[in-house]
Amino acid sequence: MDAQTILVVEDEILIRFILADSLRDMGYQVLEAGDGAEGFDILSSGQAVDLIVTDVRMPGEVDGLELTRRSKLLAPGRPVIVCSAHLLRSEAFHADEFLAKPYSIDALAEVIARLIGDPWQKRSQTHST
Amino acid sequence: MAEEIPDPQYLIVADADVLIRNALAEYLRHCGYKVFEAATSDEVIIALEEGAMKIDALLADAELSGKFNAFELRLWVRHHHPDVEIVLAGNIDSAAKAAGHLCDEGPHLQRPYDPESVAAHIKRLLAATRRQAR
Repeated sequence: MDAQTILVVEDEILIRFILADSLRDMGYQVLEAGDGAEGFDILSSGQAVDLIVTDVRMPGEVDGLELTRRSKLLAPGRPVIVCSAHLLRSEAFHADEFLAKPYSIDALAEVIARLIGDPWQKRSQTHST
Repeated sequence: MAEEIPDPQYLIVADADVLIRNALAEYLRHCGYKVFEAATSDEVIIALEEGAMKIDALLADAELSGKFNAFELRLWVRHHHPDVEIVLAGNIDSAAKAAGHLCDEGPHLQRPYDPESVAAHIKRLLAATRRQAR
């Protein structure tokens, strides 16, 4: 059985690497995107994504909030965690969870586990399109 | 006596197309590498200059953009990080082939699966994305 897949969308390469590498070490499959448009390309490619972790402020036309909105149109049940140093929770429309930056990997892991369970938990049908 | 765990080996996969980058990087992770995914030459430079890890090799698309194009980047890396092996690939098939060669030199010393299947997987993803965009 494949592990659950998390899409990490973050424009700073070193932060993205550390986040993705930590989640892989926990057993999740991870897809990485450098901005919102790349994240949407991944969602449009047909690859299974069980949860999204996204930054908000990123270059290009698709920021983290727009990516969240688009993801909810494609798969309303797929959880999205929005992370930002600039927004308030109440501004993170459509997000299932909000993490204020800076946050710890442990805090992120706890939120992910609450939303989708452990890496090998059977995929919920509620994420499907 | 406990078995000694070797230090991880680090690579950078640089390609402007996220679907190509993801698939090549995932294949190389199955080969045992830790892999940075870079969309531009600027990100390659950040990973080399600011990352705490010693990078062993760079696999880059020959049409990479950013502060430097791919050929300028190769010169810059040769000058500033001469220990980094540099491979420029001109298309999906040659990139997958190059990833296969890096795999042969990598921590596991064997290919987890055929690199040609990586190229086929990338082409399927790109076709699916194009269909969705119509």
